[in-house]
Amino acid sequence: MNWRINRRSFLRGAAGALLPLPYLNLMEPTAQAARPAEPPLRFLTLLKPNGVHPPSWNIEGGAESDFRMSPLMRPFAHHKEDLLILDNMGDFGFSSHSNSTRRFLSGHHQHTQGPSIDQLIADRIGGETPHRSLELTTEGLFPNQVGCSYISYDRQGAPIPRESDPQLIFDRLFRNPMSHPRKRQEMRSLLDRVNEDASALSRRAGYEDRQVLDQYLSVVRETEQRLEHIQVSSGPRAGIQGHKRPGRPSNLDEQVDAMLDIIALALWTDSTRCITYMLGNSNSRMIFDFLGVKEQHHYLSHFFRNFSRSNIDGLLKISLWHMEKFAYLLDRLKGYQDHHGSLLDHSIVLFGSGMGHSDNHTATRIPTILAGKGKGSIRTGRYLRFSENQQLGRLHLTLLEHFGINQTSYAGSTRPLPGLDGSPYEAYTERPFASWIRLEGDTLTVQGRLRLSDDLSEAKVFYVDVEGKKPIRVEVAFKDFHRFNLAYHCGTPVILQGLCSIREGVPLLHKITKLTSLFGKKPGSQNG
Amino acid sequence: MPIASNASIKGIIGVAFCFASTLCVCADFRTPDFQQDILPLLETYCFECHGDKKIKGGVNFVEMTTEAKAQLHYKDWENAIQALHAGEMPPDAAEQPKASEVDLLKRWYQEVLVEQVIAKPALFQSRRLSAGEYRHTLTSLLGFDPEVAIMEAEQTQSETSLVLKLLPDDPPGESGFQNDTHKQPLTSGLWDQYAYITDSALNQLQDRGSPIWQKTLQYPWKNPEEAIKHITPLFQSFQRRAYRRPVPLDDSEHLASTIARASNPVAALKKELRVILMSPPFLYRGLLMDVTRDKPVLVDDFELAERLSYFLWQDMPDERLFQLAEQGLLHRKTILEKQIQRMLKDIKSRRLSEGFTTQWLGLGAMDSFARKQLPLAVSLKTQPIEFVHYLIHENRPLLELIDSRITFTNPHLAKHYAEDRKQIASYRKARGIELENIAHTRIELRHTPHRGGILTMPGILAMNRGPILRGNWILERILGDHLPDPPANIGQVQPNSQGKHLSFRERFSLHRANPSCAFCHDKIDPLGFALQDYNDQGGYQPWAKLPGKGKDRLTRTPIDTSGKLPSGETFENLIQLKKLLITVKGDQIIHHLTEQLMSYALCRKLEIWDQPSVRRISQAMHEEQAGWADLISEIAMSLPFTQTIVTSVKPE
Repeated sequence: MNWRINRRSFLRGAAGALLPLPYLNLMEPTAQAARPAEPPLRFLTLLKPNGVHPPSWNIEGGAESDFRMSPLMRPFAHHKEDLLILDNMGDFGFSSHSNSTRRFLSGHHQHTQGPSIDQLIADRIGGETPHRSLELTTEGLFPNQVGCSYISYDRQGAPIPRESDPQLIFDRLFRNPMSHPRKRQEMRSLLDRVNEDASALSRRAGYEDRQVLDQYLSVVRETEQRLEHIQVSSGPRAGIQGHKRPGRPSNLDEQVDAMLDIIALALWTDSTRCITYMLGNSNSRMIFDFLGVKEQHHYLSHFFRNFSRSNIDGLLKISLWHMEKFAYLLDRLKGYQDHHGSLLDHSIVLFGSGMGHSDNHTATRIPTILAGKGKGSIRTGRYLRFSENQQLGRLHLTLLEHFGINQTSYAGSTRPLPGLDGSPYEAYTERPFASWIRLEGDTLTVQGRLRLSDDLSEAKVFYVDVEGKKPIRVEVAFKDFHRFNLAYHCGTPVILQGLCSIREGVPLLHKITKLTSLFGKKPGSQNG
Repeated sequence: MPIASNASIKGIIGVAFCFASTLCVCADFRTPDFQQDILPLLETYCFECHGDKKIKGGVNFVEMTTEAKAQLHYKDWENAIQALHAGEMPPDAAEQPKASEVDLLKRWYQEVLVEQVIAKPALFQSRRLSAGEYRHTLTSLLGFDPEVAIMEAEQTQSETSLVLKLLPDDPPGESGFQNDTHKQPLTSGLWDQYAYITDSALNQLQDRGSPIWQKTLQYPWKNPEEAIKHITPLFQSFQRRAYRRPVPLDDSEHLASTIARASNPVAALKKELRVILMSPPFLYRGLLMDVTRDKPVLVDDFELAERLSYFLWQDMPDERLFQLAEQGLLHRKTILEKQIQRMLKDIKSRRLSEGFTTQWLGLGAMDSFARKQLPLAVSLKTQPIEFVHYLIHENRPLLELIDSRITFTNPHLAKHYAEDRKQIASYRKARGIELENIAHTRIELRHTPHRGGILTMPGILAMNRGPILRGNWILERILGDHLPDPPANIGQVQPNSQGKHLSFRERFSLHRANPSCAFCHDKIDPLGFALQDYNDQGGYQPWAKLPGKGKDRLTRTPIDTSGKLPSGETFENLIQLKKLLITVKGDQIIHHLTEQLMSYALCRKLEIWDQPSVRRISQAMHEEQAGWADLISEIAMSLPFTQTIVTSVKPE
């Protein structure tokens, strides 16, 4: 029995009010934007679903302009100079998937009665472009927790329908049948023909059929009149020649690439200046079979609850793919010249999630990155780790300011977040510690910061950084990895003692006998 | 609409006649006259609540100034006569009619609104294809279902059919069914959506290199005359399928020559296909039927083929039906019967089971479960559909709807089936999958007889929580007795006062003591409380927790599920009630089912002149203990289905 229940009845059933469907408005005439004298500022967000695996994501140590990108950040490391990486963003406590989705663009999970910032920004800057804003996604609705499927909310706090089909979006932006000369011609000749046929039919029809045909003919005439009144564009919009309508994707990767291409093109052609895009629902159930991962993303994201080596590998593959998509987007934005700079220079891109730790759902150290110089208003190439947890609402208040929206408060935050433009901020200071190595026979003792290997394909390999020396490689059997909970101590200074061998002239710790956490952190008291 | 037991009312009226004739020798046996005899009685006894100042229960007798108007409201009359017969109306506090007056009303009803009604077909009305019909027709015509270009993830909902995504949902028409699109006009917004879908579909057609596309463009280029010869039959076949009937040859020739002589044949082909897919005979049903006007006639063979295929398949006719229609054979009873059997065996008949069951039983109410767990919600909703599909597919007796030894279940619902769950294959979800949809398996209820039939399916029980909603659902959906909305000031059932341990039923009986509530609750309550052994989630829990001896102790107390139907029959529990439903209410259930199914088949609300057909079929079905496929077959061969009247002028 290979059938499915009519999904439509579910989509449009009793829960209808909570599950808005996209209104495509495919034929509505749209204004043509004149090329502005000065480049406009764009706002773009990209949601990474399901939080992160902190040992591979967090940056530990380092200074504002001298820091080491984490293993997960490697796919977009070449964009380092265009990024402002924020750390210690978040809230107190734990967060459901649904709450974290709301938090991402609405600043606080309890801010459920008001608009998300993209909508405030769209209200401000959307009037000048043919499309006010685009709300895009990758995945269908998750009805168990509707909130997981939406990041954009209107002024009443109600979710805004989103669209996931690249072809439909492409048509909506660039092939508007009403303003496209060839499409208009096609529609005109269609109307002529069906008008003729229906009129002929009507002459022979019975009473009831004539009613139906009259109705049909009046719609034909109405459409003819609409065509007359629409302003005709001179040709395809500048710049989209050479860009083909995306084909039908054969996997998720192609679908997302197609959408990212359209996003960049939409911004560059000034079709819109405000776009939100979800790489998945915030509790994504997606299966990444094209990466060779057969488990659902959400299952894997609970890497502690569902612990196994292969699950971690699967999770990291998916996470790296998300990072690659972010990198791809930045590549595209940089590739377009916009006045005297790149499109990225004149944009603010917010990349991140609504929760930090994907297994225990803590809302602290939420991954948050700003990309693009925002027409000079953002000083990029830096890593800001704030001394204390900063509510996302503070960041949002600042972003609103960048778009000329001055509010006294947003989502309960009243003070803008300092530091984005290079202004002073209170930075996190780590307790200083020394690092050293001692080798006695084949017993090695090392003190330093424990970290995960940069190469996530060997995520069971760790390093201890020692100042002025090559890092010590730690590669132990699963038993030790598990017993000493290496992943948990990642990022913190430890004293590690164990048996050592030399491989290719570099000392390698292959058996741990003792692990001491330098500052005695208790398990569970810290992220990761 | 308890014409319930037309047969039984008739019997009782017959008895009444005997009494009347012995009591009043001078009884007048002419047919009562509406103006002279009936209207004065309505004025005296009914107008006060039903028309003058109030319109209680939505029944307005003041509107019914003529017999013709009374006929339009024949449903209200069915209810009124039954209430009168049961002594429920007029209410006790109001002035009561004399026995002779009651008799007069019943006679008038029976003769004028039942016996004298002559079956005739309805006026023909063409209508736009519903979204589902349009989708399936386009799919059959082109050979593929235009899709949305997205990937799907488990446990989320996204519309993958471009048609369903872009076309608005059809609201239920007057009949309550979505295929009743008569009142849904074409709008310019819809026009845009059709145009976009057509364009997309034609692009996909080109990309897929479908036969019509490739064959047309393979014509001999050099010689236009040859080309026209080559293309004409292709187009003739395509047009015939698109319009669901043959078109004149010169029509197809004209199209063929346009393409053959075009400077850009690809564009010309696309244009001609676009015209076909946007033209009225494709988007609407029945526009091209050509029959004698202004009198009842058989619908022509192609219309009959279309009626059959949209009823049973939600789709256009297939080649076999076209052939029979072309040979003019489809109206032949034996051939028609054989085709119906064939079509019911086809996998596409599942759309009938799904479409009809969902709307008839109101399964849409289960959509709110989707917020819990989608695969569970899907399981609950598909279970009754699967069951009805089985009843149809295997032509099971109609009343097995109420009780059956067969049901369908999957691992998500297995917990409700105790020992019987062993009949379904054990399920282990794959590693890394949190929840997934699983197909149902047929099982026999050996250990869980309390789960037999539609009434005790977990989804049906869970979508109607509590005895009142459940009782009302059975009345409305199964027995076809539509009750008026409850008054606004009903208040709440009071909680137990301190020291008292009354059950919900006992407290409820205090609440409903008001005599004006009794009219409906006498019907609702016995049915609803018989299902009290099932909890809000649809689980079987034949005991209540009541405070028992000792401190903070709860004891399990059996629940009172006994009851008495308004017609007097009593029962102890649900098993006995089901027996009563099958024996005493069987005719009423079949009557209602026949009405619903016929309304679905005709895509319209039934009228009084359809009632003779409904009565004839439902009585025959009941007497013969016929099966589901028999009923479907009877409906598809009935007068309303096979005949029509096409008017040339505006009907009065």
